[in-house]
Amino acid sequence: MSKRIGFVEPPAPIHIELDGEVVEAYEGESVAALLVLHRDGMSRRDRDGDARGLWCNMGTCSECFVRLLEHGRSRRVRACLLEATDGMRIATGSHTQDD
Amino acid sequence: MTDNAETSYDVLIVGGGPAGQAAALELAAVGARCAVIDEQARPGGQILRQPPVSFAAQNWVDENSYRPLRQQLRVFENQAAIAWLGRRSVIGLQPGPQGHSLTTSGADGLQELSAAHVLIAAGCYDMPYPAPGWTLPGAMGAGAMQTLLKAQGIVTGEPIVFAGTHPLMLLIAAQISRAGGKVAEVAFDRSLATIGKSMIRHCATALRNGSLLGEAGKAMMDLRRAGVPVRFGRPLQEITGADRVTGAVFGEADHPETTPCGSIGLCYGFLPQSDLPRQAGLSVRWSSPSGGWATCHDQWMQSSVEGVWVAGETTGVAGAPIARDEGRIAGLGIAAALGLITNRDATRRAAPFRQSRKAAMRFAAMLDDIAAPKQALDRVAASNTTICRCEKVSASAVRETLGSTTDVNAVKRITRCGMGLCQGRNCEHMLIRMSAAAEGRGLETMKGFTGRFPARPVSIADLLEKPLP
Ligand SMILES: Cc1cc2nc3c(=O)[nH]c(=O)nc-3n(C[C@H](O)[C@H](O)[C@H](O)COP(=O)(O)OP(=O)(O)OC[C@H]3O[C@@H](n4cnc5c(N)ncnc54)[C@H](O)[C@@H]3O)c2cc1C
Ligand code: FES
Repeated sequence: MSKRIGFVEPPAPIHIELDGEVVEAYEGESVAALLVLHRDGMSRRDRDGDARGLWCNMGTCSECFVRLLEHGRSRRVRACLLEATDGMRIATGSHTQDD
Repeated sequence: MTDNAETSYDVLIVGGGPAGQAAALELAAVGARCAVIDEQARPGGQILRQPPVSFAAQNWVDENSYRPLRQQLRVFENQAAIAWLGRRSVIGLQPGPQGHSLTTSGADGLQELSAAHVLIAAGCYDMPYPAPGWTLPGAMGAGAMQTLLKAQGIVTGEPIVFAGTHPLMLLIAAQISRAGGKVAEVAFDRSLATIGKSMIRHCATALRNGSLLGEAGKAMMDLRRAGVPVRFGRPLQEITGADRVTGAVFGEADHPETTPCGSIGLCYGFLPQSDLPRQAGLSVRWSSPSGGWATCHDQWMQSSVEGVWVAGETTGVAGAPIARDEGRIAGLGIAAALGLITNRDATRRAAPFRQSRKAAMRFAAMLDDIAAPKQALDRVAASNTTICRCEKVSASAVRETLGSTTDVNAVKRITRCGMGLCQGRNCEHMLIRMSAAAEGRGLETMKGFTGRFPARPVSIADLLEKPLP
């Protein structure tokens, strides 16, 4: 299991929607960190249905793409560079095939 | 530093790590108008990746060796004359005789910026090491694990295994262990005898850098105390798991030994970021022994294109103190080119940075020698492991194609290796090694993929709003 550790004193939690499920997060926390906590780091299934996960956590490998749903449109963004804000809606490709 | 909306500067700096900060500080001190652009929200670079502002971080990277870098970061953040353009990826660099332009991509789309001088201080990244099973969730670069800890306060799936050739994994494992994470094992690919031989070859350097080696020693001791085995001569054979990592297999094929784990950090070295330099046509050279493309420069860190400068690990992976020295030298060189200081002044002020850079280079060479990944990568080259993550191309598929052509761009077209979203950052180094071996050529004579726009993935909607440069 992954976990949060105590070297940070996070502020009051916010909530984001991850694949329709409401999860607790902290303002500015990266969505990649939330994938590690809630999906074992999984970001999608590839075209063969294999589980795939984030690799570099610094914007270089392009493995962590998720969909940010806002203003009626869906934007593909790197989860490791995306900061959580209250009410943010994210769709990973972890339940569906999304290549 | 201040947030800023202008689009034209004297100097644009790509990267707010130790190198970019150092250059910006030199330039701001002599009155140059400069902006620092970074994909990250906050400055720091990889070594000092900062937690979100809303986290009140305590004991954040408080090891002694980080102190000078933290000091520089504080000064940088307090220097109001430097514009900070965070959360923006630089996706294109177009050099021009009257100045250079950069295309950036952020939450509100694309933006063009221009400047008389551009400094690329984009750093390096964890070498993508294709062990069988490395695409499973929970397998990641050791640096990725470390940045999850230091910038997010997250420990990845426990217990954690580290495998690789690079000694930085000792420090990372110890940091995670000290923070309360459970580490199952740290496995060095090479034997202690081989590592010892490297140290003996660099004996004078080893003695002169006692404090840095002491840090590795302290990490070993902390790990011992926490009951974490550190093993040598233990090459990783396979990462196992169905939907996530559940084990790491070591040992020989007939005597496999599995260490159960929830995540694994791979640490075989670091590759310089080279997309922007190559896309803009700067001269690069193969970086031995770890691999990747280092951008060439003159003694003031100017690249082969006038007005485009490079500093830090974009020029070769050699550690943060060198990155900082190079940033300072580049800053002074640019200040002189702008006519803000005289050449004589620049020369005088750069002298101490040149000296400390030179001394630190010897230590970097020793580390390179200790961490050499060749053997580990040769095993991959002979296997059927997926080397191209994006397009799922295996080493065996590449080997087959190398029978008919060894031109990496042709192999890319035929196999799709390197065609994906990562633009080849994950697989190119492996393909080049395999192609050089097939042809019996030295790596330094090889040519890589043709650099293309955009240097970072960008949505088509954003590109349509703003046509390609
Ligand atoms: C994940 C990771 C962790 C590391 N941890 C340590 C450590 O704990 N200790 C240690 O001694 N060394 C560590 N290193 C090595 C370390 O990177 C260097 O020693 C040091 O940070 C190099 O400084 P730099 O200024 O050259 O580059 P960096 O510090 O890497 O700074 C480069 C900056 O440029 C930005 N950037 C790059 N490309 C673009 C682009 N196209 N658009 C916008 N921004 C861009 C990056 O976001 C980054 O902030 C680590 C390396 C990695 C990859
Ligand atoms: S994890 Fe590599 S780009 Fe996000």
